[in-house]
Amino acid sequence: MSALAIHSGPLGYDGQTVLQPVSLDIQAGEQLILLGKSGCGKSTLLNHIYTENRKECALIPQGLGLVDRLSVFHNIYMGRLSHYGLLHNLRNLVMPAAARVDEILPLLERLGLSDKCFATVADLSGGQRQRVAVARALYQGASVLLADEPVSALDGPEADRVMSLLNQHFNTAVITLHDVERALRYGQRIIAIQHGEVVLDEPAKRLSVNTLNAFY
Amino acid sequence: MRFTNTMDRPAYRWPRGVRIALWFLLIALACIPFTDLEISSLDPWIDLSRLLRGFMAPQLMQPSLVIEALLATLAFAFAGVGLAVVCGFVLALAFNNPVMRGFCALLRSIHELFWALIFLQFFGLHPLTGLLAIAVPYAGVFARMFAEILDQVPKQPEQTLPADTGYLSALLYTRLPLAWPHLVSYTSYRLECGIRSSAILGFVGLPTLGYYLESSFSQGYYPEVAALLILFYLLVASKKLWLRRWTFPVFIVGSPFFMGEGMPIIWGNVWRFFSQDIVPAPLRGSDASWQSLIDWFTHILIDQALPGVWNTLILSQVALAVTGLFALSLFPLISRHCFSPAGRLPGHLFLVIARSTPEYLLAYILLQLLGPSMLPAVIALAIHNGALIGYLTGRHSNEIQLRHDAPRRRLDRYCYELLPRTYPAFLSFMLYRWEVIMRETAILGVLGIQTIGFFVDSAIQEIRFDVALLLILIAAMMNIFVDLIARRVQRSFIG
Amino acid sequence: MFRVLVRGLLLMLLTGAVNAAPVFVFTAIPDQDETQLKQRFQKVADYLQETLQTEVRFVPVKSYAATITAFRNNQVQLAWFGGLSGVKARELVPGSIALAQGIEDPEFKSFFIANSATGLSAAEHLPASVRDLTFTFGSKGSTSGRLMPEYYLREQFGESPDDLFSRVGYSGNHSRTIALVESGAYQLGALNYKVWEAAVADGKVDTSKVQVIWETPSYPDYQWTLRGDMDAIYGEGFSERVQQALLNMTDPELLSSFPRSGFIPASNDDFEPVRVVAKQVGLLD
Repeated sequence: MSALAIHSGPLGYDGQTVLQPVSLDIQAGEQLILLGKSGCGKSTLLNHIYTENRKECALIPQGLGLVDRLSVFHNIYMGRLSHYGLLHNLRNLVMPAAARVDEILPLLERLGLSDKCFATVADLSGGQRQRVAVARALYQGASVLLADEPVSALDGPEADRVMSLLNQHFNTAVITLHDVERALRYGQRIIAIQHGEVVLDEPAKRLSVNTLNAFY
Repeated sequence: MRFTNTMDRPAYRWPRGVRIALWFLLIALACIPFTDLEISSLDPWIDLSRLLRGFMAPQLMQPSLVIEALLATLAFAFAGVGLAVVCGFVLALAFNNPVMRGFCALLRSIHELFWALIFLQFFGLHPLTGLLAIAVPYAGVFARMFAEILDQVPKQPEQTLPADTGYLSALLYTRLPLAWPHLVSYTSYRLECGIRSSAILGFVGLPTLGYYLESSFSQGYYPEVAALLILFYLLVASKKLWLRRWTFPVFIVGSPFFMGEGMPIIWGNVWRFFSQDIVPAPLRGSDASWQSLIDWFTHILIDQALPGVWNTLILSQVALAVTGLFALSLFPLISRHCFSPAGRLPGHLFLVIARSTPEYLLAYILLQLLGPSMLPAVIALAIHNGALIGYLTGRHSNEIQLRHDAPRRRLDRYCYELLPRTYPAFLSFMLYRWEVIMRETAILGVLGIQTIGFFVDSAIQEIRFDVALLLILIAAMMNIFVDLIARRVQRSFIG
Repeated sequence: MFRVLVRGLLLMLLTGAVNAAPVFVFTAIPDQDETQLKQRFQKVADYLQETLQTEVRFVPVKSYAATITAFRNNQVQLAWFGGLSGVKARELVPGSIALAQGIEDPEFKSFFIANSATGLSAAEHLPASVRDLTFTFGSKGSTSGRLMPEYYLREQFGESPDDLFSRVGYSGNHSRTIALVESGAYQLGALNYKVWEAAVADGKVDTSKVQVIWETPSYPDYQWTLRGDMDAIYGEGFSERVQQALLNMTDPELLSSFPRSGFIPASNDDFEPVRVVAKQVGLLD
């Protein structure tokens, strides 16, 4: 069964087309990786998928979308703002609810951020910020993950830890990456985009690092 | 070989920003023949020297009264700005709605002194009059600025929220914290304006500093005037010392206790004001007719509104041009590219004093010294606004990094480096200030200069609130109109 | 923050409501230097409080219109009005009555004064040479500083002051009019003759720089006016008691601060001439 069906017209901004029309069916349980040079239209496609399917999706945008002045806890809690009523959200902003903190602490632990729960996001390093955005997506509990370069600021082992965490947590995902090896390791289906067009759409097991490197 | 054919030489055209300024300058020059700029006082130096001597030997009238007035000045400013922040924020959220936007434009296009004159008619000298006189127009100002600030916040955090997140939850968790530092710094700036407005409210009878300033001044007690002014400057200059994050709520909670008791409110008066006083006179009697209403309206339009609007327009255009020239010649005084830190000190001092003196107060002082004409108003508007824009432009120039081989001579450096780089910022400050100057020009009429405020004041003195309100609305329309033009010019300049 | 503000507001409204206890409040038109007015009326307040056996408070205001408005809004119950302001106030508050006036008030007059540099001197009529000079009234709402001078100017020259003079201003009050004409800010001015005489007697005027050049015919002016519903609030006969207290004011110190030699009864009809003139000049509908 298909989890997401994408049939877009030409995509772009300011009257300039960045991406030619795309037709995609993403199956439930499919981990899809988008590859391509920066500026090829990956993020545009990801954002299009997100706007069309907001209800089911958790998003990790490239800019992370964090609120710098709030704490790590609050930024992660934001993943479930819609679960709770205004009063609870308000109260939690002023005085974090113990039950919510208890839900979020294990996530932080797995991401190596357990000592940062109430640290202000503005004070974190780039890698830590990226993990906060990941934690927010994990906490949200949506069925589909849309992530734009979610591990770009992390070193090798750390990046793998985060990728496998995302892999376990979301069985359907669309993730853009620029690391070909990692794409083959975590993706079941790979889509490559070049000059604003989808030029490759194959299961990962049929592909090798060398074939993919051709697209860079 | 020499080119002799001028056709081949490319024609130089002044940049757009310069052309805009030249138009304004031309308009101002065209207005000057109609502007009454006479020094009618026979010997302005006598009063001026008495005022200066007063500064040499300031003398405090009853200290308890003055302290009360100082506290009341702060109290009205804090409570008024506090209320305006809350209302302005709520209005800012609805700012996309054109009706709301128009409503806010109307609120802020009416000067706080006009609001005070309106509220005085039914609340009387009650603290509520002063509170609302500040809160109402400031709410309109806050609504616009807050809406702009909230608009410029990064959109991504809000976009990543789950799909069904409630409006307020999303606001509280994303846009509000993202905008917070800007909201705070703008509010703090406005608070300073609020202190000035609050002081001025004393001129119509509220128990703030202006009350005693007006009394002492009109009786020629210059040492007292000097003492009050010095106190006012100290109050504004020391703002950083007493205004802290934690003192703000303390001031807000405390403010109601320092507004004076005034006279009791009688709510029937409010009803009467709206149901009778502001109804046009010809509609009040039983013999109301369209014809009588039209006669009434044209009569006011021709005898009061038109001369008032005309005088307001020419005076504000002249004042605007002088303000610009003044600002451009003042800003190097505080620019690090022109003077050493010690050399900038006098410039800073002058600019601080000039920009913290409300133009209304300056105009009042100059009217006493120079005699009645438009000259005091032009000087007052130019000093206050010129110092403010000069300060902003100077600060902007300090952010510029000059190359090492920048011209040595100050004039070259000013013309070739500083002016071209600060000019766009200067021009947008000026365009923003245009409407403010127009609004202030209108209000200066209350002091006797024949701008539209003069006719508003006359109507109020004659207990004709219908006429007063009509004139206030005409003044408001004028401000809204100028604001629209200013924004259009601004856009054409940037775009 | 929200809550703090709401609480503050509530508090303020409450204190406003508590103040509604019937303190007897009076005010006066600010026709002279404020310090003098405050001294004068504080003494009157003390006198009235003692005589009427009720709490009496004087509230100063900044303009003639504010006096009328406060009276109309029932925020003050008694006021020392000029002729014009009294007529307006009584028209706005049906039932209110003129209680008392100074002995001099039925025969009041205005002085036209001129700066010596104009070379004008006292005469039977205003000379034609006043044309195109600069001229200041007192307050816009004053009888002796605005209404009557304007009326006589129109009568004598057949045109409005704006057409007659090169510049027309409003000084705000009578003391300012003297100061402005003396300093030369205006060449001519018109004011309350009592204020002029008192200022000359106190040596506050440099008569080498400014002199009286014409005095108007007489007209009725200042009076005490009381709201009509006082007996219901302060007890039967209160209005008469207030009137009696005013008429019994004999302390020379109190009287000289006005300055009047005593007070006599007044009635609303005494001021009919002022009303007629105000209508002619267009200051009343």
